[in-house]
Amino acid sequence: MITDKVITQNVSKKYLNYRQKKKIKRYLSLTMLWIFIGITIFPLIWMVISSMSNQEGLLTGKIQPQLKNILINYHDMWTNINFGLYFKNSLIIDASTTIIALSIAVLAGYALARFKFIGSNLFGIATLGTQMIPGILFLLPLYLIFLQIQQTLGIKMVNTYHGIIITYSAFYIPFSIWILRGFFASIPLEIEEAARIDGCTQFSAFIRVILPLAIPGIIAAAIYIFLMAWDELLFAWVLTTSADVQTIPVGIRLFVGNYQNRYDLLMAASTVVTIPVALIFFLLQKYFISGMTAGAVKG
Amino acid sequence: MDYLKQNFKKNKLAYILILPAIVAMLMIHFIPMAEGLYISLLKLNQYTLLKFLHAPFIGLENFYTILFDPSSTLRIGFMDAVRNTIIYTIATNLSVLIIGLWLAHVLKQQFIGRGIARTLLLLPWVVPSYVVGLLWGFMWRQDSGIINKILVDYLHILPNKPFWLIGPNVIIAIIIPTIWRSFPMTMIMLLAALQTISDDYYEAAEIDGATGWQKLIYVTLPFLKPVIGTLILFGMIGSIYSYNIVAMMFGNGAGYPGDWGDLVMTNISRNSFNMWQFGTGAAASVMLMIGVLALTGIWYKVFKDSLTMQ
Repeated sequence: MITDKVITQNVSKKYLNYRQKKKIKRYLSLTMLWIFIGITIFPLIWMVISSMSNQEGLLTGKIQPQLKNILINYHDMWTNINFGLYFKNSLIIDASTTIIALSIAVLAGYALARFKFIGSNLFGIATLGTQMIPGILFLLPLYLIFLQIQQTLGIKMVNTYHGIIITYSAFYIPFSIWILRGFFASIPLEIEEAARIDGCTQFSAFIRVILPLAIPGIIAAAIYIFLMAWDELLFAWVLTTSADVQTIPVGIRLFVGNYQNRYDLLMAASTVVTIPVALIFFLLQKYFISGMTAGAVKG
Repeated sequence: MDYLKQNFKKNKLAYILILPAIVAMLMIHFIPMAEGLYISLLKLNQYTLLKFLHAPFIGLENFYTILFDPSSTLRIGFMDAVRNTIIYTIATNLSVLIIGLWLAHVLKQQFIGRGIARTLLLLPWVVPSYVVGLLWGFMWRQDSGIINKILVDYLHILPNKPFWLIGPNVIIAIIIPTIWRSFPMTMIMLLAALQTISDDYYEAAEIDGATGWQKLIYVTLPFLKPVIGTLILFGMIGSIYSYNIVAMMFGNGAGYPGDWGDLVMTNISRNSFNMWQFGTGAAASVMLMIGVLALTGIWYKVFKDSLTMQ
């Protein structure tokens, strides 16, 4: 009897210790998490604070955000960097790219998910293969092809919206196909068959029944394409040379080259560039996260 | 033959549906790539640029120049860039995986402010990478940069302010922003995968007396293997082909961080477009691609079992 009691006491003591340990561990890991979050968002806070400071403060390191500087910086960046023009170009190019790449990827993604055709494996591998090619390898040939098209066919390709839009669309089609393929594959075949029994052709079943069901996946792919196009620098840098068609990253890079230490304006511009994508992302993050993770978790 | 015909007829719609994608990929990816492969065998520089594919054919000389020619300045720079890219790729991907795994593990629990924590942690991922380069370049500045101020003036961790944008520290100055930008995506993917693991497995492991580390190694990691595989593949390709951060951080947009931080992509693009060495540039790109394909082959061997396509 006595030994029994001793054992239960020991066990409960041990158990308490274990629970306490677990609690302490939990607090510790949450504290570490919030410290990490603090470090993570600090650069962004610093970007915004810097955008409210004046040039001397930024260069000497005595940064004091002031209302006056906010007005000056966020006004001057539009005139000094010619930001409005770049912003317009980026919007036109990225929106068109998103629409074109998405339309093409939706069709191919559906075909890849639903049909077992001769060459479907090859097509799947080729789409993944495009991701392995270093951009720089086809950048120069592409540039020269664009020049040749201009010489032989008389269609201007370099320094035009459509040249960049075609390039970007082709860039982001392959990965979008993979995002969408996963989504289409997860829609039960029965739904499509039911629609066909009701008299739809396969194509109209696709348009009327499957597409609406795949909207989360389509949104996910659209966000992917837009964010990637918003971020592209190398090709835009080479394929455009006049401000009429240059995008924001090119514009900012040119500005950095010309006015090295105008961090006041650059940080204001950085803030303004980040806001649209941040808004898009956080409004639609539910779709995007489910779209990206669906493919990953299912393999 | 009949089977082929039947299959083709049955799947006519599929072929029509993939046609636009094929045309786009041929036009922008594969035909220019084939030309790029051919250019790597040509003496294509500023003098012969206008001849394009009719430039003098020199066989493998470009490859020889990059790999073995001791008199070539390209060779030294390229080898440095290869070394830096290897360090950069391993360091960023390993750190991102560890940080992502840790964060996913913490975020899996219920706690107050979990939603806010997740959203705040996703923030770096929406920042365009050229802004990442610009912003961190600004913060790394030796004299007035905030990082040195925090490390030296406020926390006294270091005795005097190091140079981050010149010399051997450059590689750190590009690795940390890359980790900062990439961990959110890894975290969110791992979190989604972690949530599919049933608690039963952990309880069973606990009954068997497994420690935290044992649970990680014998329960969590095997379940996560497919996701980690995907993340490693895309992370690897992403960092080997990474350009924007380095291009924006150094040399006021010229993108030359010196021998200690130059990456293969910035090296090749500088040699190709600033110094008009297109033949050698193409040869370097070809070698880069072969390297990536070889790594993908190794990757496939390692993760083959956990890939469940379709």
